[in-house]
Amino acid sequence: EFRFGPCRVEGVVLSELWEAFSAMKSTVQTQDDITSVRLLKSQVLHNVSDAESCYLVHSLLKFYLNTVFKNYPSKVAKFKISKSFSTLANNFFVIVSKLHPSKDKDMLSISESAHRRFLLFCKAFKQMDTEAALVKAFGEVDILLTWMQNFYHL
Amino acid sequence: RAVPCVSGGLPKPTNISFLSVNMKNVLHWKPPQGLRGVEVTYMVQYFIYGQKKWLSASECTNISRTYCDLSAETSDYEHQYYAKVKAIQETKCSEWVETGRFYPFLETQVGPPEVALTSGEKSISIALTAPEKWKRHPTDDSVPMQQIYSNLRYNVSVYDTKSRRRWSQYITNSTLVLSWLEPSTLYCVHVESFVPGPPRLTLPSQKQCIRTLEDQMSALK
Amino acid sequence: GVAVLPAPQNLTVLSINMKHLLMWNAVAQLRETVLYSVEYQGEYESLYMSHIWIPSSQCSPTKGLECDITDDITATVPYNFRVRAMLGSQTSAWSTLERPFNRNSTVLIPPRMEVTEHGLHLVIKLEDLGPQFEFPVVYWSQEPGAKEHVKVVKSGDSPVHLETMEPGAVYCVKAQALVKAIGRHSAFSQTQCVEMQGEALPLA
Repeated sequence: EFRFGPCRVEGVVLSELWEAFSAMKSTVQTQDDITSVRLLKSQVLHNVSDAESCYLVHSLLKFYLNTVFKNYPSKVAKFKISKSFSTLANNFFVIVSKLHPSKDKDMLSISESAHRRFLLFCKAFKQMDTEAALVKAFGEVDILLTWMQNFYHL
Repeated sequence: RAVPCVSGGLPKPTNISFLSVNMKNVLHWKPPQGLRGVEVTYMVQYFIYGQKKWLSASECTNISRTYCDLSAETSDYEHQYYAKVKAIQETKCSEWVETGRFYPFLETQVGPPEVALTSGEKSISIALTAPEKWKRHPTDDSVPMQQIYSNLRYNVSVYDTKSRRRWSQYITNSTLVLSWLEPSTLYCVHVESFVPGPPRLTLPSQKQCIRTLEDQMSALK
Repeated sequence: GVAVLPAPQNLTVLSINMKHLLMWNAVAQLRETVLYSVEYQGEYESLYMSHIWIPSSQCSPTKGLECDITDDITATVPYNFRVRAMLGSQTSAWSTLERPFNRNSTVLIPPRMEVTEHGLHLVIKLEDLGPQFEFPVVYWSQEPGAKEHVKVVKSGDSPVHLETMEPGAVYCVKAQALVKAIGRHSAFSQTQCVEMQGEALPLA
């Protein structure tokens, strides 16, 4: 199960996500030729506290579901990665539906800290051409999964 | 200073890829086809994903071998990298050929532990020494791979040569005592490191065998 | 092709131990071979991009009346499935599964197991049901007042060492199948007992 601080998520097998991404890694990353930009920089994901992690993963996965995956289908068929795409999208969907970040006032500073990290990611995304940004974000799912793996307990 | 050359005058090297074990990251490639017997040298550059420019691999400029150890250049294993190589022959050179995005943290093979066996009358002690991360200098302190992968486990496989039966067990610590074994019996052991996460190639340890001591009772008779 | 061919009927899913089989009735066509094509979409697709259907990895197309959809289902969400018939250039309409299928409804039955003793080692070999499975194994000695021990064995069919045992004692073992992806487990298997070699040790 995932333990993002107080948030627990069961019912997701991380190895299934890894297998899905590994199957399309070279296809997807080859499409990204703007190698001088990294969206999920270390300032976004390094030294995230447990308490922040629930807010941050919720924001990032919602962004992936509502922006990246939603606008990616045209490429999916072309690159024959529908199955892998579906595995990632549906499992991200499960995680987001089970995450309930606390809305307590005393968590405000923590949620704001997580939000600042998320805004760093969004800013980098918006500074790029949308199509290129979609491709890059999709190619960086391995960075996202590597960070999420820290919160996964067998 | 690299002598300027006419790009595209030579065919490109082929099969470029990283071979990575315990964070020792070595770039390999094959010579360009159709240049048998021609004296060709190579130049290697690498790039840190998210940064701005290609950097020269100082140890791999005008080399004739077809590999380049980029462990030092790619030692921050949380970064991702690209590498490229081109062939040079006098004033002619090939175009660059580039790797895909290389992510050492996910792609390095975790080598097997060192295995030391000692036997008792009806027992075998298995002592495991964690595989070590690549070191810049032999005198540097050793860093066990467990420090990088906290969820690293070992799959110990034991084979009883008398009954021809095998069993295995996952352990996380570095010692295992198998007791109540058969005396005077040859047991063979090999161990694999296992890191949960993305699919990763594994390197099993050499098979080692040891015989349990003779049963004291029958020795006295 | 114009939809002249009738669509396949009675789509159902049979799912046991995380192996999922989609089945349907044949489209009656006397002498000619009808092919069938299977497609699916997960909950995400049905909510965010309902026009997207993904060809099944095993059955696009197939001659049979069933399709192993195990590899297609890789999340614990409801999945829609649809099947159509093809005969030459003729193509039927799609026939869709009445209710979406979620893998958390799979029937879990206990694993087959083989308990053996290697000298004084209690070893268990469990049926390989796939990477999704773990097996809580309970074992105990038949000595009066003996405690139950539990060990979770990861999947894979190689024998696993449970415990080193006392000579001459009888040990019993039972196991169940656990799937964390759906948060459920099977009933326990039949209990199997084995007697350890050697005489029981004299009381100290």
